[in-house]
Amino acid sequence: MTSIHLANLGKTFGSFTALRNMNLEIADGEFVALLGPSGCGKSTTMNMISGMIEPSEGEILFGERDMRGVPMSRRGVGFVFQNYAIFTHMTVYENLAYGLCATGVGKAERERRVNDMAEFLHLTALLKKPAAGLSVNILQRLAIGRSAIMEPAIFLLDEPLSNVDAAFRAVMRTELKHLQREFRQTMVYVTHDQLEAMTMADRIAVMDHGKLLQVGTPIDVYNNPSNVFVAGFLGSPGMNLIKGRSVASGEAMCIDLGEAGLSAPLPGALFRGLPEGKAVVYGFRPEHCELTDDDGLRLPVNFVERIGARTILHMGQGGHSIKGVFDNRVPVRQGDIVTLAIDPSNIRLFDADTGAAIVETH
Amino acid sequence: MTMAALDTNTPVMEHEDTRDSRRLGIWLTLPAQILVLFIAVFPILMQVYISLTDWSPLDGIGWWQAHELWNSFANYSDLMADDRFWSALGRTVLVMAICVPVEFLLGLGLAILFVDDFPGRRFLYSVLLIPMMVVPAVAGYMFFMLFQSGGPVNDILSFFYGAPVTIAWLADPDLAFFAVIVSDIWQWTPLMFLILLAGMVGVPEDQLRAATLLGASWATRFRTIVLPRMKTIIIIALAIRVIENFKVFDNFYIMTGGGPGVATETISIYIYKVTQQELIWGYVAAVALVILIALSVVSAIAIKRMSRGVSQ
Repeated sequence: MTSIHLANLGKTFGSFTALRNMNLEIADGEFVALLGPSGCGKSTTMNMISGMIEPSEGEILFGERDMRGVPMSRRGVGFVFQNYAIFTHMTVYENLAYGLCATGVGKAERERRVNDMAEFLHLTALLKKPAAGLSVNILQRLAIGRSAIMEPAIFLLDEPLSNVDAAFRAVMRTELKHLQREFRQTMVYVTHDQLEAMTMADRIAVMDHGKLLQVGTPIDVYNNPSNVFVAGFLGSPGMNLIKGRSVASGEAMCIDLGEAGLSAPLPGALFRGLPEGKAVVYGFRPEHCELTDDDGLRLPVNFVERIGARTILHMGQGGHSIKGVFDNRVPVRQGDIVTLAIDPSNIRLFDADTGAAIVETH
Repeated sequence: MTMAALDTNTPVMEHEDTRDSRRLGIWLTLPAQILVLFIAVFPILMQVYISLTDWSPLDGIGWWQAHELWNSFANYSDLMADDRFWSALGRTVLVMAICVPVEFLLGLGLAILFVDDFPGRRFLYSVLLIPMMVVPAVAGYMFFMLFQSGGPVNDILSFFYGAPVTIAWLADPDLAFFAVIVSDIWQWTPLMFLILLAGMVGVPEDQLRAATLLGASWATRFRTIVLPRMKTIIIIALAIRVIENFKVFDNFYIMTGGGPGVATETISIYIYKVTQQELIWGYVAAVALVILIALSVVSAIAIKRMSRGVSQ
């Protein structure tokens, strides 16, 4: 068990910058998910932690130990590949025992540990079977077991659930979290699926275009995105983001949202220090709006998407596209004009130029 | 009800359909099948026939009249007592037993060097494949000249030795044997290298990485991942070379003509000489047939054993 420190980590491939200036502290025994779209640098980060590729700059420490120049065979890192990389020319037993054999663990000890691991992962009945031709969920458990048997201090998982079907994914999410509690290892989990990150991770690190954008607990990242990308990426559907401009309205400050009208007055904490006429992005979660007969944003309904328990209204005109999530009995049809009321405490403002969140100023 | 009736009838109709289409298929492919059968079987039958006679083209009768010179199994009993035949066969096996393992090990070593990228890899790769593309007869002349007593090999040796070296390579039985083997290894190591490299590149990168992360050293990875994964391609490479090497002729014949004496006479050279010089075609047919049968049996057993190993 050990902590991981990434300091100013960067990687360039020729003229392409895959990752720049990444700083991240992962505590001992913590489960951190690296979340981001394809090409955001999350796998590059993972490969550098494992030692498969060398960083172009910055450093990686395991605990106090600098990992520069330490070959991947000596890092003590467990790695579960996206395609599991099971040795298909061997049996299940040989796969589990591989690391123990390679590092010269004695036969009796080896047998005991393989049997324990097989028991734990419900693979005992399959030990003598060839690994080729096993189903994906068994391959996955085998891949985890093969790494876990070495009792690595750090466990890295590269999109391990991307090849399995939706139903099994839900099962595995619970199982993986359970495994991590059992092994008590430091786990880094790469995924582009926010649901996996949200449900399993202690903390989420959201990345885009080779940059670490925000690190925090799932709820914190969800509720208080640090910039426009994180706001739009997390949540399904993501946060509504409307371009606007701040205007004073009597005592209070409002946001002029163009065709959608004027927003309700902002709560005090949000607008203090906000200059008038500033270009901002006005954000709120689709779950945080209600239909009202009073004042609010008046919007036409373009499309009604019914997905069982919930109904998503696609609203807006001109440059706006706003989604609202309601329960499935919402009495609205396509073409209606609705008025939306948004709870001011759930509004997030972002700087339209930098994309960064405008945080409460005191 | 009609559904049930249809259900029981349909398979029968399909059955008749397939039987009809099978019959049609046989008719349609019959000319081609006869042609193939003719090409493959006729020469062998002709060979069997001639091998039971004393026929030679100088006898003034066509080969179909060879039964006039019927000698029963005399050719085969002669063969059993023919020391030159047995020594040629033994020499051929010896050449194979030296050349194929050496070519395999050299090819494997080169493949290991070339599997990872390095500056100039593509260029060197092309250079290494050149020997394979040289016509064997030309390669034979090259090595014939290299191993002349006033040739480059002796010049190089003289340079290191510090005094003129004038070894008559191709005139000494042992040295000539060594020289023809060098020429075969030079020419056919690239083929081994090419096939083995293709197999090595095909070993999944992730599996090697997984093994490394589990603490496996290079040697362990090579033994437990690379070699088992290359098993099929290794068998194919060895099979190709064993079969090809058994038929070795061109470079050997040009370099030494099978000599001095019979020091480099392989089975192909022996057959060629007996055919061309002694013109006893009935006997040659018997020799060729025995070799064909022996080689077929050996390779059938080998391929069966190897493919059993692969499927496991």
